[in-house]
Amino acid sequence: MSKFTEDDLKKELETKEYEYGFYTDIESDKFPVGLNEDVVIAISKKKNEPAWMTDWRLDAFRIWKEMTEPEWANIRYKKPSFQDISYYAAPKQKPKLNSLDEVDPELLKTFEKLGISVGEQKRLSNVAVDIVMDSVSVATTFKKTLNEKGIIFCPISEAIQNHPELVKKYMGSIVPKTDNFYAALNSAVFSDGSFCYIPKGVTCPMELSTYFRINEGGTGQFERTLLIADEGSYVSYLEGCTAPTRDENQLHAAVVELIALDDAEIKYSTVQNWFPGDKEGKGGVFNFVTKRGLCEKNAKISWTQVETGSAITWKYPSCILKGDNAVGEFYSIAVTNNYQQADTGTKMIHLGSNTKSTIISKGISAGHSQNSYRGLVQISPRANNARNFSQCDSLLMGDKCGAHTFPYIEAKNKSAQIEHEATTSKIGEDQLFYCNQRGINTEKAIALIVNGFGKEVLNKLPMEFAVEAQKLLEISLEGSVG
Amino acid sequence: MELKEKLVSSFLAFENKGNIDLDSTVHAIRLNAIHNFEKEGFPTKKDEDWKYTSLKPILKEDFSLFPNAEKSVGYKNIKDYLINDIDSYNLIFVDGQFNSFLSETTHEDCDICVLSSALARPKYKMVIDNYLNTISNKKNSLSELNTAFVKEGAFINIPKNMIVHKPIQIINFSTGSEKEVLLQPRNLVVVGENSHVQIIERHQNLSKNTTLTNSVTEIFVHKRAIVDYYKIQNDSNESSLIDSTFITQKQQSVATVNTLSFGGKITRNNLEFYHEGENITSNLNGISVLNDKQHVDNHTLVDHKSPNCESHELYKGIYADKSVGVFNGKVIVRQAAQKTNAFQQNNSILIDDGATINSKPQLEIFADDVKCSHGCTIGQLDESALFYMQSRGIPKKEAKALLLYAFANDVVEKIKIPQLKTLITKIIAKKLNVQLGFEL
Amino acid sequence: MLKVNNLHANINGKEILKGINLDIKAGEVHAIMGPNGSGKSTLASVIAGKEDFEVTEGSVVLNDEDLSELAPEVRAHKGIFLSFQYPVEIPGVTVTNFIKTAINETRKAQGMAELPAKEMLQLIREKADLLEIDRKFLSRSLNEGFSGGEKKRNEIFQMAMLEPQLAILDETDSGLDIDALKVVANGVNKIKSEKNAVLLITHYQRLLDYIVPDFVHVLYNGKIVKSGGKELAHELEEKGYDWLK
Repeated sequence: MSKFTEDDLKKELETKEYEYGFYTDIESDKFPVGLNEDVVIAISKKKNEPAWMTDWRLDAFRIWKEMTEPEWANIRYKKPSFQDISYYAAPKQKPKLNSLDEVDPELLKTFEKLGISVGEQKRLSNVAVDIVMDSVSVATTFKKTLNEKGIIFCPISEAIQNHPELVKKYMGSIVPKTDNFYAALNSAVFSDGSFCYIPKGVTCPMELSTYFRINEGGTGQFERTLLIADEGSYVSYLEGCTAPTRDENQLHAAVVELIALDDAEIKYSTVQNWFPGDKEGKGGVFNFVTKRGLCEKNAKISWTQVETGSAITWKYPSCILKGDNAVGEFYSIAVTNNYQQADTGTKMIHLGSNTKSTIISKGISAGHSQNSYRGLVQISPRANNARNFSQCDSLLMGDKCGAHTFPYIEAKNKSAQIEHEATTSKIGEDQLFYCNQRGINTEKAIALIVNGFGKEVLNKLPMEFAVEAQKLLEISLEGSVG
Repeated sequence: MELKEKLVSSFLAFENKGNIDLDSTVHAIRLNAIHNFEKEGFPTKKDEDWKYTSLKPILKEDFSLFPNAEKSVGYKNIKDYLINDIDSYNLIFVDGQFNSFLSETTHEDCDICVLSSALARPKYKMVIDNYLNTISNKKNSLSELNTAFVKEGAFINIPKNMIVHKPIQIINFSTGSEKEVLLQPRNLVVVGENSHVQIIERHQNLSKNTTLTNSVTEIFVHKRAIVDYYKIQNDSNESSLIDSTFITQKQQSVATVNTLSFGGKITRNNLEFYHEGENITSNLNGISVLNDKQHVDNHTLVDHKSPNCESHELYKGIYADKSVGVFNGKVIVRQAAQKTNAFQQNNSILIDDGATINSKPQLEIFADDVKCSHGCTIGQLDESALFYMQSRGIPKKEAKALLLYAFANDVVEKIKIPQLKTLITKIIAKKLNVQLGFEL
Repeated sequence: MLKVNNLHANINGKEILKGINLDIKAGEVHAIMGPNGSGKSTLASVIAGKEDFEVTEGSVVLNDEDLSELAPEVRAHKGIFLSFQYPVEIPGVTVTNFIKTAINETRKAQGMAELPAKEMLQLIREKADLLEIDRKFLSRSLNEGFSGGEKKRNEIFQMAMLEPQLAILDETDSGLDIDALKVVANGVNKIKSEKNAVLLITHYQRLLDYIVPDFVHVLYNGKIVKSGGKELAHELEEKGYDWLK
């Protein structure tokens, strides 16, 4: 038997097509392509939205029209043509279902393949699942339990109808329509998304979870998530994404807004595994996401993300630490392979006194990919005794990929304490031989070493998510040897 | 007239005054540079590289571009700014013009003289053609501005196998002969194989009038050569400095640049290292001790292009009052540069509310078998250490200064010329406003 | 069990092993001694299948099967265990997680099902006790920040877990104080049986006071220059290696 060489591994990696790349055959109700004010109005009308919402969208559209698409030093791609995208797609069947049995069996099969069978999750892990299939929610579970606690967890389209006062007050308050090109676009055309409100003093008894999928060829997806944790409440929210194999680029421009009022805590976890493009770098999802949270007094927001997918990831989940003693955390693993490009990081804006932030970012690059950490730590003059600790580590596999670190650190208060560290390394030959000698083959050894490298982040994920995340890491990295 | 227009329109007059040979290399270089500058203009805060430093407040002045040199400057006016207790070569420029009376140059074995004469003499044509403006960053519009008016500065040309035993001091004085003066010195340093040279550079305003210096230095370090370069930046609050230094290193060479910043209104340092060969070592050390509204912006680049090279970067800053520090350190490790060791560290202390530090340590890595790290800390003095010292009878002010000095010391320790080290220690003590009863 | 026949090996074109012959039978303990640079560690690495070395001549045969073309992990699956002189750190991977992976990968290769978690846990506890290993130690990152003694103890712990046919202990005594040495030796002696064999590689004789060899071989300049019983070790201790040159 010949040795399983690095070359073999590389080859195997290259031939490993996107594992979750399959296409669900559900008929879609789709808009013609293109974007103008009429389309924005039509989207709003189709969703039976009140006039204030339509106006809000139109205002955003006008802002967006005046903006230009940003350019970045470290990302290269063919920009999507915004007039060639259909701005609304919803599964054709009736969107409101009371139980899983009513869900299209085709859809359930999809989830089965993903290993995230809704039924099983429901039984085993006590997770309420709000599945977003394309753009409209088709199933919501555990409503009753949540209702009893006064927790609102529903599609945002429903919240617009039933809780306009909350939506009006908070939507766009953290990520304004003017924030950036993609946020403005999202504000104009957002299809659907999740809305969550945790009342004062309530600890949400289960992990809230949404699975996003992009399913319709050529359909941009514009999710909008709004999560409000009222004073003293706690919620853990999971977001996981996979997408079917596609030949053309798909645009995804989501907006996530988190509000943690006094003493509240929000834990927001993401496992993202959208189609990264094939080994030639063809296809793949463009993921331009704006995620931001606001922390009032003593509040805490913790972002955890495992990013393995997308051709292009542009994403900086951020925390505005407005209140005194607020805490912001960012734990991230970003894996890039083949021709993927990831530019991700966080912004920690310290406004209040005694605010603390922690940033742990682990980047793993393989193939021809480019993986950048870009972050900002800002201490305002009023933020006395602010603390930040940042650690950005990169692991390189192979000599065709790149790992980059661009931290911005701005301190305007003398009592600030900031520590930033970054390292770059590769998997050592001696580490591999050691594992081999103990009977662990190279591929498994790499998975083991990479999981060890990302451990500080994986540990932050809720249990049921951590398993899936580890699986994804292995799949994304199989065969990449330095 | 806006400064940019004034510069562009005076270009012809400047060239004519020098009776320029239209076929010469330098004419072509200048012409190309003025076009680039005209196209790009001065950088603004919208440029990523100028995000934290605005030139606006200094560019509004009505600068005199070609000041008359004050003839009456004598040794007594300048001696405080020279390191006197060492034997050194001195290149003294007053208001942009070489002062041979105050200088000590040489043409024995090596050339330590001035650029204007090198440009004029056929003997140096080869050196000028081979080196001048070959590594100055063409994307840097301020360097291009300097190149457009390239005329005077230090010309140091050290042949193979030569240890220059005396350090070289390059000092640019401005006397305030005009109300606002723009100076653009240009230095060219070529160090041959196996040679070793130490250079100290300083800019000094002798008056209360406004000076803006836009200086460019190109340094070529050949095989196994060693270059130690010290920049003393302790100018008056009416003086601003834009210093761009470009260094190309060949195999097994060692180049060290120490940037010691204590004064001036706005100081911007662009320091760029380019590697051409294996087993190169680059050292970048910096200290900033600032107060008032002083602003120092250190932009550094180490471009690792070949394997088995090292770079070590350590910048420390102490910021008081309303001073502003900027550190932007970039390390690029290109695909071919396997086995690179690159380390970068930026540590800062903010002493007062109102002081600011903006730090951006960047790594761009395209090779896998490398050891690269960067670290950045911002903090205060260790309160418990302070208390400990006070409890042993050391007054708070002195205790604080001692701790700050200790913080800066690992950079001071890297200064290899003892007299210079003493001078820097004194400057730091003065900046920290203490008199320590012992030699630091 | 293990036969090494006229083994020659190079690294970067330089010949390190120049014709080694060894015959190790089940139940035996062999010791290889020799001065620094004689090729002791190279021999261990070559048997374990390290790719840096090129075998130019000869063979390594385990139970009548030639190992020469097999990957290190396949050799491990077939029962070769190497206790490293300098065990490697793997940040973030716990001792438990690592050994669990090693055992299950080996079982998989042998066509066995994964060891149920409960049995695994029991086995880990049992072997940890054998090596006097603290439970807390098991949840630390592999070899990261371990003392010299901890690293070696961890190696023998893994050996106890994997129950190899042939255990090669490369300078396992180096960096150990006398108490740690006793623990390690005691562990090895307990694992030793009629079915397996041990190959000790050491510079000094002191380990051999605790793990008594049946045969001692002296390796010098890439060749075995002398073989004998355990008394040869004492002779070497007294006279040094010079008399063999």
